[in-house]
Amino acid sequence: MDPLIELKDLEYAYPYASPALSDISLCIQKGEKIALVGSNGAGKSTLLLTLNGMIRPDKGTVTFHGKPVSYDRASLRKIRQKIGFVFQDPDVQIIAPTVWQDVAFGPVNLDYSEEQVQQAVSDALHSVGLEGFEKRPPYHLSGGEKKRVAIAGILAMDPDVLILDEPTSMLDPAGSEDIMDLLDELNHQGKTIIISTHDVELAYPWADRIILMEKGRIIASGTPEEAFSDKELVRRARLKTPILLELSQELKSRGMKTPGTLPRTVLDIIRIIEHDHHGSIRLSDNGYGTIHVGDVDLISGPQIQAILARTSCDTIGVMGSRAKICARQWGLTPDISYAVIDKCILQAMNGRTSLILTTGGMVTRVFERVTLFNQTNNRLIPVRSLIGSDKPDDLSGT
Amino acid sequence: MFAHDFLEEAAQHNALLQVHPYTKLLLGIGSIILVLFTPNYIVPCFLAVTLSSVTILLAKINLKFYLKLLGIPLSFAFMSALIIIFLSEGVTKIWSIQIFPWFTLTVTEESLNHGLHIFARVFGGMCALFFISLTTPMTDLFGIMKKLKVPDLFIDLSMIIYRYIFIFMEKARQIYLAQQMRLGYTKPREALNSYSMLFGSIFITSWDAGEDLIHAMDCRCYNGKYAKMITYNPVEWRSLSAVSLYLFIIIGMILWTSG
Repeated sequence: MDPLIELKDLEYAYPYASPALSDISLCIQKGEKIALVGSNGAGKSTLLLTLNGMIRPDKGTVTFHGKPVSYDRASLRKIRQKIGFVFQDPDVQIIAPTVWQDVAFGPVNLDYSEEQVQQAVSDALHSVGLEGFEKRPPYHLSGGEKKRVAIAGILAMDPDVLILDEPTSMLDPAGSEDIMDLLDELNHQGKTIIISTHDVELAYPWADRIILMEKGRIIASGTPEEAFSDKELVRRARLKTPILLELSQELKSRGMKTPGTLPRTVLDIIRIIEHDHHGSIRLSDNGYGTIHVGDVDLISGPQIQAILARTSCDTIGVMGSRAKICARQWGLTPDISYAVIDKCILQAMNGRTSLILTTGGMVTRVFERVTLFNQTNNRLIPVRSLIGSDKPDDLSGT
Repeated sequence: MFAHDFLEEAAQHNALLQVHPYTKLLLGIGSIILVLFTPNYIVPCFLAVTLSSVTILLAKINLKFYLKLLGIPLSFAFMSALIIIFLSEGVTKIWSIQIFPWFTLTVTEESLNHGLHIFARVFGGMCALFFISLTTPMTDLFGIMKKLKVPDLFIDLSMIIYRYIFIFMEKARQIYLAQQMRLGYTKPREALNSYSMLFGSIFITSWDAGEDLIHAMDCRCYNGKYAKMITYNPVEWRSLSAVSLYLFIIIGMILWTSG
């Protein structure tokens, strides 16, 4: 497959400074989730800025869709529409006095018609979960909301690639998880996502590919397991090994057998430990707990509440911005809002019932993930789809 | 120094936010114009009381905040009115005091009326002005400017200025706090020094912010356009007719009191 973006032998130096980028070659495929990881001043932001033509490299070429990027005004506009860039500080990016005007900034400058602008803005606000914020001035928003406005402003231009410079650096942990969940959702809709971060715990389970940077150079590029396993590389990049990886390395050095892949989530590590215990550590008396999946577009608030009143659900998880809004409107307090499927599988293995609320395509994703888990691990975790009907306790299987 | 109880902050939360800005502007600007035609202090006082009650009772603006706000212009107006009362000419003498052999302060009926009238006009006018600024946030006014065909350049600039006032205010507050923590304002000389440093860093910050702004706009394909379509709730006939009725009553009162 042809790469979406290709960088070849890039070099760049800021005036009167040592080289910021040297000898950078990189291929980015469509639909990838890439995390650029490195210490402060490793050149992450500079590299990201070369991707949409904000910085013109001194040497080397940037290719997008097989064509070299040219730096005249018209081509730059085109590439910046296709490759959206979200700045680290939302206060830098938000330029208009109200949320609506800010999100409309891109579409208006792309000469959309009035209806198209309206549509693009409401779609973008919808997908980041900020409906009803149109008239708010930005200084009234929380950090997470500002970040969402910044992302919506880029989404409104319908880019293929989303670049986010340190998306979680100014957010609290819950806000960070929300943003990462949103990025997952956008990736699921087909957008290629590239972030920079120095939070290894965040990047490790999230990314498809990790690119480690040190002093303007790429020192490793590969799956998170590969990139973070090499202690020497991690040390050079001034990072630390993700705690799960470290744990599994320590277990291995103590003679515990680790089957196949290295763990990326708590679920993986539980599996490894279970494997060593020949099967399961402990299953509750009634076997596996069921995972119920509800589509918030097909089911109403009262129905969910009626179901919850009759059946005992130990955990409620929400996936995606729309499901989060619905849960809030229906007065549900979700227990999990990030890495929902894995956490629900963990619950199920422990004999607990859980309910996942989500939308459209994500429902199938839950089924696929659980079925795959069942197949690869010889498990029989039941997963059922909730269908909204007049009879509130109708938990029909699929 | 960095009061966070901005007018704008109050306006964003007022209870009349959903009313169409045209209606509110008609009431505010109409009152300001009418107050100029009043013959004596009765109508302006009536305007001041009614507009204040609308601001406090209908727009739900905090009474203490409102009085504090009104206190600033009224204290100036009070002093000016005093000077007019004591110094302007008149026939019917009410009271006088000789301070120096060559300087006498005299209050006449004419000067008293004149002073009271000026004070009442300022009072009424300020109430009308505060009614506008406390019920109609700037963000709504940008749309009105667009509808009134104000040049785009002017609106765009004022929108950018509006956006950055809050950012610079916050920055200034942070620097001020940092200086205070290191005892930057303990001695007058030091205070002067710190104050100049504060403004120096704000200047540099604004310079940086300007460059960032250009980058941010470039990143989003800036082509000389700024989104301005702002939607309002439709003009409500009920509130609009109430406002018109009110203004007609004021006109009637003016005619009656001057007749």
